[in-house]
Parts: sequence; structure tokens; C-alpha cells
Amino acid sequence: MMKRSLWMAALAGAALLAGCGDRAVTAAGPGAKAKTEITLMRFFGSCDAKFGAVNDASQGVGECGIVTAMVNEFNATNPDGIVVKTQVAEWAPYYDQLTARLVAKDIPTVAVMHESALGDYVRRRLIEPLDAELPALGIDTADFTDHARRGVTLNGQIYALPFDTWAWLWHVNTTLMSQAGLMGADGKPKLPHSPDELLAMARQFKQRTGKPYFAWAIVKETAATNRTFQTLIAQQETPLFSEDGKRIDMHQPQVVNALALMQQLYAEGLVKPNLDYGGANQAFLNGEAGVVVVGTWTIDQFLREARKPGSPLKGGYTVVPFPQLYQRPAVFADGHSWALFKGGAATPEQHAAALKLLQFIWKRSAEWARTGHLPVRRSVADSAAFKALPFRQNLTEITRTGTSMPGNVPTQRAIELLIGEDVSNLMVSNKPIAEVQADVEKQVNKALKKVRR
Amino acid sequence: MTPMLRKGWFDRAVMALLIVLAALWMLPLLWVLALSFKPNELLMVRTDVFLAPPYTLANYADILQTSAVFRWLGNSALVAALQTLGVLVLSSLAGYGFARCEFPGRRWLFPLVLFGLAVPSQSVFIPLHRLFSDWGLQNTYAGLALPGLAAPFGVFLMTQYFKAVPIDLEEAALLDNASRFKTFLRVVLPLTLPAQATLGIFTFLACWNDYLWPLVIATQPEMYTLTRGLASTQTNFAQSEGLGFLMAQAVFAGAPVLMIYLFFQKHLVTAVAGTGRS
Repeated sequence: MMKRSLWMAALAGAALLAGCGDRAVTAAGPGAKAKTEITLMRFFGSCDAKFGAVNDASQGVGECGIVTAMVNEFNATNPDGIVVKTQVAEWAPYYDQLTARLVAKDIPTVAVMHESALGDYVRRRLIEPLDAELPALGIDTADFTDHARRGVTLNGQIYALPFDTWAWLWHVNTTLMSQAGLMGADGKPKLPHSPDELLAMARQFKQRTGKPYFAWAIVKETAATNRTFQTLIAQQETPLFSEDGKRIDMHQPQVVNALALMQQLYAEGLVKPNLDYGGANQAFLNGEAGVVVVGTWTIDQFLREARKPGSPLKGGYTVVPFPQLYQRPAVFADGHSWALFKGGAATPEQHAAALKLLQFIWKRSAEWARTGHLPVRRSVADSAAFKALPFRQNLTEITRTGTSMPGNVPTQRAIELLIGEDVSNLMVSNKPIAEVQADVEKQVNKALKKVRR
Repeated sequence: MTPMLRKGWFDRAVMALLIVLAALWMLPLLWVLALSFKPNELLMVRTDVFLAPPYTLANYADILQTSAVFRWLGNSALVAALQTLGVLVLSSLAGYGFARCEFPGRRWLFPLVLFGLAVPSQSVFIPLHRLFSDWGLQNTYAGLALPGLAAPFGVFLMTQYFKAVPIDLEEAALLDNASRFKTFLRVVLPLTLPAQATLGIFTFLACWNDYLWPLVIATQPEMYTLTRGLASTQTNFAQSEGLGFLMAQAVFAGAPVLMIYLFFQKHLVTAVAGTGRS
């Protein structure tokens, strides 16, 4: 009897455990107004404490604040009873978690995606094309900027709603530039137009200020070095990958040009050594370097600092696209976008709700541009309101000149890591250029070959 | 004269060195604690501030105002408790079986269990996730707790411990007509409490600190554990823009573990010393 009770208790416990998760979508009770619940998976952090109760996107501040307020506003104002349940995942393992969810058939209705990651999921036929849906929502795809269009289009079809374009910029301390004699009569910093000019200016800067020209995230960091390298390659009009996207070719003179320049800058002490991401930004904010090379997302942060009394950056900050050092203007750029996953909407109502959310996000596109990211709508990029935002006029060219890996190159985020690691080694530990070329080529081609299997 | 002063100069030098090393070891932890009370805006510019003002509780307030944080805390406590209990029960039973019972295959089964110690958990990660998701255990407490129940170290520890218990006690109980299970439960098991405590503490700590498995098996915020949930609230550039918040998260997640350590300090120290006995 005792034994049987124990077994029953164990079975009941097991059943309880297995059923304990919050798996089901809440069903409306009899008589209650039916609600359509959809899930939205994203990164950008969680900021319930500050913006959990803000229902107006225009009141949001920063990436997290704006996206939280935007979804709150949708939940509060949509007349169709749609409830968007946000599921926040951290940035670094975001795609690991997304993949785990897809495997477990716990598929989010809408998810944010880097445009560079989109291709991997499209090739696995996991994402729904949106060509037919967008015009019906009043989203004019002709209004997409060039970069946004390239980012979300694969094999001629649109697979996501572009959200922003982010790119690689030079954030400049104009006070130090002035000390170094590198400010023009127009009040703008003098920018280099060739690698030799860059080296000459950086040397002059160091000589006159005693400080390195660059603060560059290089330790515990692969993204920054990869983005700079890819920018320098793109400016030389060199395709790094074969036409079918299945091989990388590092044995080109243009690759040597880019690597040699990066190595020389570091070896001559023109880049402040051994900085990680936080350290590079900190060095710039403390006036320890003339230029920090980082993305669009830090504009507001630096600008706030430049307005603070007593800040070394006070009144001396500007930002420009990565200068053109070779034949053509180009800068590494990527973007965020919103994708609908197959199986993410269990009912036609959920599918329609997801589309309405996309429509709402599209309409609030200008709000998101306040983060520092560049707009994906020509109409917003050309608007007076956007141009009135600080420095944005300097940056709108990136919506045309932004460049990224070709869409047919698979597993781009892993490739960025492989390239970035070795380019960091080139700078920090003076790894010979030939070895970097050979190692990157070997590892990237191995990774690409694995994907094809 | 105190015992310390009675010791020779060598002992005192060793003690002084240990104090210095302990202080060095503590320094990063104290730094984390100090930064958790600093405004994020300040930490964007400098992180070499230790005791100097300004101070703020805003980072902790932000954590506490995150709507789901107490749920995540509860999830962590429940999963860690379930896993600890499960490991103790299974490891004790298996350990006793290997130490005392003769059964076919025992000679090769025990090394097979020990082989599990040599297999990194990451190497079975993908098949394990496939298995659990196929069983519909994604986003369930069972999904979070069950994989940790396979504890080769626990089986090994308990086997060795049971082997060290004098067999005469069991024989006396068996002669008094006690069943094998009763002998195990009433006579032998109470003698292994120090080992149980050691195993329990290590299992609880490992489960509490686990991040990787909850990352893939708990994909809905309601089912996040504390480590997983706190990580999800970080902004993309937390290391630069939200450093104080990041540090406060580390302190918040570590505080319950610290309390457990204070309660079970004696057993933990014994365990680390390697004997497993109090």
C-alpha cells in the first residue's frame, strides 16, 4: 500500500513537472472579447523599470526604450485586440536560442534578425517571404533605401521588413583634432583620402597631442576589426568571395593593402593598444584618442557626454562615415529587420496580427532612427525631421554606400568571427600578413564547405 | 602569547602571503560590488572608481522592477532544489548498489558510469536538446531539471563513501530481519550525511549557476532561471552603457549562493579539502 502511494505520488509529481511550463496561449473565457496573442522575439535588452509603462514610442530613449515603448503603444492602441508578448533574449547567443526554439517548434511569431543572418534561415526555408503581403499593408517597397533593400532581398524575394541600417563610423574629438592642426577652415575635421594621408595625419596627431589617433576595440573583440577590414576591402572594389558565395579569396593584393595598413597603424602606436569595446569608448570619452571607430548606436551616448560640463569631450564631438581611402566610397553596414517564421503563427488571425504589427513598426520608423541607426525609408532619410537630428545629414550617404557580405554567402556571422579573430591577431600580436591570409582562407573555406554538406 | 605569535617566522610569512593572495583574489569581487553602486553614465567614462562618490541604488532598483525577476528567482530555486534532491536520491541508491550489491554487469557498469566524468556536457548538448524537445519538455521544469540528474561524480562519491562504512553494521541489521532497503535507509544512509551535504551543495551551486542549458531549453521568459533571465535584460552594449547594471546583476545572482555558502560553510570546506567527511 505504502509502495503504491509512493509510486502514485512520483507519477503525479512527474506529470506536474512536465506540465508546469507556461506553454499555452491564454484562451478567452466565454463572453470575453477574443484576443489574438502573438510573440515577438528580440534583443535590445529589457528596460521594464523605465519604459514598461510607456505607451508612446516618441517617449522612448535608446534602443531598448524605443522598441519597448513602440510595442506597448501597439498593444495599447490597436483596435483588433492584438496582444504582442515580447520575449527578450540577449544579444550574443540570440541565434543559438532562436535555433533552439525552431528545433523545439516553439517558434516566435515575429523575430528581429540581423540582415546578415537572414540568408541562413531563408536557405533553410524557415522564413516567410513578404512580397505579396507588404503592398497590402500599404508598405511601399520602393521607399526602401538601397542598403535596406539589399539586406532583406534574397533570390529576388523580400524576406523581412527592414528596421534600420547600422554602419561603421568615425567618431571624432574635434578639440584634439584642432590641437593637432587637423581641422579645416569650415570647422570640420580634415579627413584622409588615402592610406598614406591617413598615416601622415595620424603621425601628425600623435606628434602634436602626444596621444594616439585611434581608439579601436581590439581585445576580446572580433567585430570591430572585421568591419574595418571589410570596409577597406570594399573601398578597393574587391570581391572577397566567389560569385557563388562558396569560397573566400584572401590572396589578393587588395587584401594585403588593407592588412598592411591596419598592422602599420597599430605597430606605430597610432592606435591605443589593448582596448576592448568598453575601453575604446572610454578612452575616447576621456579625450585619450582622436577618433573611435564604432557604430551608429553610440551617437546619442557620445553626444550626451559632449554636452556635459567638465567632460573632456565637451563641445568637441562630431561623427562622419568611415572616410574613403581607396577608389570608391564604401562602409561596412548591416541592419536589423523583422521576419515572420513559418509556423510562428498558428492561426490566420495570428498571421494577420503579425502583419499589422509590421505595419505599425513601419509607420514608426522615424522614431527608431533616433537611436542613431539610419532609417530604412527614403522618405524618412530625406525628411526635415530626420535631418534636424544631430549629425544625421553627414550620415545619410551610408544608406547608399553601405556594404556588407553578399547575401549568398552563408553563415556570415561565423565568418565575421573568423576574419575578426585573425585580423586582431595581426594587430595585437603582429601575426605575419601571409599567415593571416592563409589561416583566414583555410578556416573560412572550411566553414563554407561544412555549410554546403 | 597568542598561538599566532608562538608560531615561527616561516609560518607567519606563509600566513601573511596567504592573506595578501586572498586580498588579491577578493579585489575583483569587491570591485564588482563597488561598481554595482555607481551610475552607468559615470562608468561609461571611468571604471577605476572604488569608494569615491557618487553612489546609487538605481541599478538594484532596475533589477527589482524587472517584472519577472522574482519568478526567475523562484524558478532557479525550484529547479536547483529538484535537481539537488534528485541527484542525492539517485546517487545514494546507485552508490550503495555499486558498493554493496552484487549484480550482473557491475564490473563494467561502474567504469561506464565513471566514463561520464570524462564526457564534456557540451558534447551531448545538441542531441540532449533534440531529445527533450521531442519529448515536449521545452519550457518545463522537468526539462530544466532532468538532465542534471545524471551525475557520475555523485555516484562515484557516494560509492566510495558507502564502501568506507563498516559492513558489520549492515550485517547486524540484516540479522535482525531488516530488509536490504530498510538497512540502507535506516542504518547506512544516515552515516553518509556529510557526503550527502557535500554532494548537495555542489549540485545546488552548479545548477544555480548554470546558464547554457537554460539558454536553450527555457525559451519563454516565464520559464527563465535567474542567470538566464538577468542575462536577457542586458542591452546589446551593456559592457559600455550598462556596466553598473551588469555588476548589480552579478551581485544579485550571487547573493543567494553566498547565503547558502554561509550556512553550509563547514561542509563546503570539508568537501574542498577532499575528504568528504566532517
